[in-house]
Amino acid sequence: MEHFNTFFPIFFLFVFAAILAGVFLLLSVLFGRKTKTAAKGDPYESGMKPIGTTRERFPVRFYLVAILFIIFDIEVVFLYPWAVIYDKLGMFGFMEMLVFVVILLVGYFYVLGKGALKWD
Amino acid sequence: MEQQILTLVTFFPVIGVALLLLVPRERADTIKAVSLIVSFVTFLFSLLMYVMFDPVANGMQFEINIPWIAAFGIHYHLGIDGISLLLIMLTTILSVIAILSSWTAIKTGVKGYYISMLLLETGMLGVFVSLDLFLFYVFWEAMLVPMYFLIGVWGGPRRIYAAIKFVLFTMFGSLLMLVALLYLFFLYHGYAGEYSFDLLKIYEMPIPLGAQTYMFLAFALAFAIKVPVWPFHTWLPDAHVEAPTAGSVILAGVLLKMGTYGFLRVCLPVFPEATIQFVPLISILALIGIVYGALVAMVQRDVKSLVAFSSVSHLGFVMLGMMALNVQGMEGSVIQMINHGISTGALFLIVGMIYERRHTRLIADFGGLAKSMPVFSTFFMIVALSSIGLPLTNGFVGEFLILLGTFKANSTYAIIAASGVILAACYMLWMLQRVIFGKLTKPENEKLVDLNIRERLVLIPLIVLIFWIGIYPKPFFIRMEPAVKAILSMVHKVDRADVERKEGIHVAQPTCVGTTCTISGGGAGCGK
Amino acid sequence: MDIRSAAIDLGLISPEIIILASAMVVLLLGTVLKSRGLMAFLSLLGLVVGLVLVLQQWSQPQSGYYGMVLKDNFSVFFSVVFIMTAIITLLMARDYLIAKHIDRHEFYTLLMFSTVGMMLMAGSTDLVVIFLGLEIMSVPLYVMAGMNKIDPKSNESGIKYFMIGAFASSFLVFGIALLYGASGTTDLRRIMADFSFLKMQSELLLYSGALLVMTGFAFKVAAVPFHMWVPDVYEGAPTPVTGFFSVGPKAAGFAALLRICVYGFSGMAELTAVFWLLAVLTMVVGNVLAIFQNNIKRMLAYSSIAHAGYILVALTAGGEGAVSSAVYYLLAYMFFNLGGFTIVTIIDSRTGSNSQIDEIKGLAGRHPYLASLLALFMFALAGFPPTAGFMGKFYIFSEAVRNGFVWLTVIAVMNSLVSVFYYLRVVVAAFFGKPDQEFSPVSFSPALFIALLVTAVGTLALGCFPGYWLELSQMSMFPII
Repeated sequence: MEHFNTFFPIFFLFVFAAILAGVFLLLSVLFGRKTKTAAKGDPYESGMKPIGTTRERFPVRFYLVAILFIIFDIEVVFLYPWAVIYDKLGMFGFMEMLVFVVILLVGYFYVLGKGALKWD
Repeated sequence: MEQQILTLVTFFPVIGVALLLLVPRERADTIKAVSLIVSFVTFLFSLLMYVMFDPVANGMQFEINIPWIAAFGIHYHLGIDGISLLLIMLTTILSVIAILSSWTAIKTGVKGYYISMLLLETGMLGVFVSLDLFLFYVFWEAMLVPMYFLIGVWGGPRRIYAAIKFVLFTMFGSLLMLVALLYLFFLYHGYAGEYSFDLLKIYEMPIPLGAQTYMFLAFALAFAIKVPVWPFHTWLPDAHVEAPTAGSVILAGVLLKMGTYGFLRVCLPVFPEATIQFVPLISILALIGIVYGALVAMVQRDVKSLVAFSSVSHLGFVMLGMMALNVQGMEGSVIQMINHGISTGALFLIVGMIYERRHTRLIADFGGLAKSMPVFSTFFMIVALSSIGLPLTNGFVGEFLILLGTFKANSTYAIIAASGVILAACYMLWMLQRVIFGKLTKPENEKLVDLNIRERLVLIPLIVLIFWIGIYPKPFFIRMEPAVKAILSMVHKVDRADVERKEGIHVAQPTCVGTTCTISGGGAGCGK
Repeated sequence: MDIRSAAIDLGLISPEIIILASAMVVLLLGTVLKSRGLMAFLSLLGLVVGLVLVLQQWSQPQSGYYGMVLKDNFSVFFSVVFIMTAIITLLMARDYLIAKHIDRHEFYTLLMFSTVGMMLMAGSTDLVVIFLGLEIMSVPLYVMAGMNKIDPKSNESGIKYFMIGAFASSFLVFGIALLYGASGTTDLRRIMADFSFLKMQSELLLYSGALLVMTGFAFKVAAVPFHMWVPDVYEGAPTPVTGFFSVGPKAAGFAALLRICVYGFSGMAELTAVFWLLAVLTMVVGNVLAIFQNNIKRMLAYSSIAHAGYILVALTAGGEGAVSSAVYYLLAYMFFNLGGFTIVTIIDSRTGSNSQIDEIKGLAGRHPYLASLLALFMFALAGFPPTAGFMGKFYIFSEAVRNGFVWLTVIAVMNSLVSVFYYLRVVVAAFFGKPDQEFSPVSFSPALFIALLVTAVGTLALGCFPGYWLELSQMSMFPII
């Protein structure tokens, strides 16, 4: 019961949000104007007319670069909190981060060596 | 030497295996020679052991007891009494004969075949010499592997089915035995405060009846499948019919005895109350086995399966005699184990010899062989008669004692069992009549070559043994008597002296007082 | 036990550091140099040095990193098992990888990363570090399962393993979170110390947390009903990787389970019933389904499920003896299972093989010694004496009987009987089967020879002379209060 009391406001928020969303949907179904045209059924592409099939294949490089970006990006995020308390951590913190960056670099050089960053 | 002889006998075949591994597999003759010599040397060692064995001493001899696995209190504990001595002799003799008999029969995979044979010998000997239950179990299970290969690789058309059936049946029982073994192990720990699988120590532990019943059932199931007691016998005909000749000889001669030996060594002394409780059940199963085996043997068309079913019948006698729980019955049972090994082994050899010539074992394909193969027919005749139990042959001694012992315990059982003897005469003589007597009807049988020197050499030792046991069994009885009485005294929970008084002494029995030995004549049995 | 403790001590994790470093060296060198043999050799060197360093830590329990890393005999024992597994896998993999044209240096790197993850799992009593180790172990495994890119089955294997692995991890993390919520710590030692208090305070959280953690590991060790992924993943993955799967992660999962359930939750008597059920289900389903497999890798997959069941019997029995019996079993299992997989790998390296049992037909005629070894490993898997398989089962069953689980033991031995049937099928094919066409010979390399030698000797040594190894396994118990 104790937990329930603590988390009741959050629970209330969930329920309220769900009810609100449901009510809006219901209202639009009930009172919204329904017109059916061919243009409305088309896939939305920034207001342009759709060209070709949607199941088009992209070069895999796009994915590769995107994934690599995410990986290194997330690792680099660790540098920020470290930098903030750099003074408090001192030499120990510096060495730790050095090891971390070296491991990151190993990954980077591997990626480079495999040619994953070459575009052609 | 005293201490090492058992290890030497048991593991000498393994040395042979190591030698065989060095021989290239193309040199079949060298392989055969090496394995024959190794098995013969093993036999010589066992003969030495037989000579060194003190026939009148009580308790285990040649004991060796060194720690093996300290964590479980498992010891490498070997030792033999009169019963194991006889079975070891049987094993080493039959192994030599089995190896000699497969000289020409095995043409493919010669090296693997002889390696399996020698490993099998070690496994069987190990079962008979172990006094540590863990060791016993290890040999019991390890022995399955070479036998599995013998049946599966060099067997007949349905060999794979037979081999797998053999392994699965045996394992079913032995795995339950393993659980009971562990239970016994912890029970002993609770009783004595130490961990031990030592059989001699476990003998001294009293076990509550309830626990005894369960454990007896588990152990008895494992042994009964091996014997095989009806209704656990169905693997036996398959295995026998499909196995190569030497495999059948070993299977019938020794492997089945491991089951009856297990009863004698483990079930009876360790679970005495449970044994007495289950005497009627096992006796009746044995009786069913005797009659059923004989009846089914009668209608077989294949000589080999006839012999296989006759084994079921004969082993029924062994079990029945044991369950009489008196000196006569049990001695008869032990001697019948040896007899069955000799006679049935010889029968399988004979069937194998004729199969090598004609490539058929159907009774209908033969007839009148006495004319074309007189020596063969003579041997066949003698062996078959010993299997029936004709006086002057070994079979008579065993069956007579068993019936005598059973009669003292329960006359009804004895009467039913006696009918089994008659049935045995029926199927065996009828088969003889159809195979070796009568007219030579088939032209293929006219040109058959009689037994050569090697084949005669294979059979002669067995024939000698048949008559020796039949005419002068005393050396065997003297050696087994202390062991039998020790087991009986444990079953009846009385002193050895009481067993003698109660059961009477029927064979002249030497007693030792100090250094002088005197032979006391057979006292009159005072009955129950 | 006097545990030397330090905050930061590189010596404490020197084996891990060495293996990681050689993994990275191989990763970088492999992109520059062409010689894959050199990479394999460097990896082997790193693993062997790691093994030597681990062995130095035997019998000197130490703790470090604020109690996050614990190097007691238990973790040393398991580290040895993991590194040995990696070494044998490496030795058997080389020829297979060449034959299948997937000889890439990443394989060796991933193998070593995964090994380090396992070592971390066994070497900690902190749930977070255990989880970290689990992830370090698992992620390389996902990639290794899908190594054979052109084989759709390998792809399927990788994806399936990844999905299930992620799913299992989420159970685990949720469980750890709940346990943290209940106790305010992730350190198992503290959970155990305060157990009775915690049980009074927040029983629901504690128990649901424990069950979720168990579920997570049940996926990893492939206990029924969390085993569905195993056959597909094992079948599709390259054969040496399958061998590695069936031993390494399983042993690591059991190391963690033993630590957590026997040590951390030693106060939860109710878990016994859960383990009982898991053990019975795992044994029965694993063994029965294995009978119907015609693909030897699938068969071995189900067999590995069944073996997990036997180890779960030890967990059910509980207590110190049970821990050491499980430890002993895993060591034995490593030898004979990897031995079996080595031979399957050899046979699978032939072109056009798709690991059907029928392909083994005629092996005995062409390669009698190889066939004999195969028979040895199969008999060990089935638990025949005098092999390691028998001693392992004997030890586990004896612990079960000691703790009064006689009927569980009966179920276990009956399963053992069922298993004999399908292991013998392989032996039957190798020895008795007539091949449809001539058995195309397999090739041997020294590496394969060493792998076979090590596994065969181990299988026999642990079976015939188990005394020394039993002592080692008994020294590897952690103290249970």
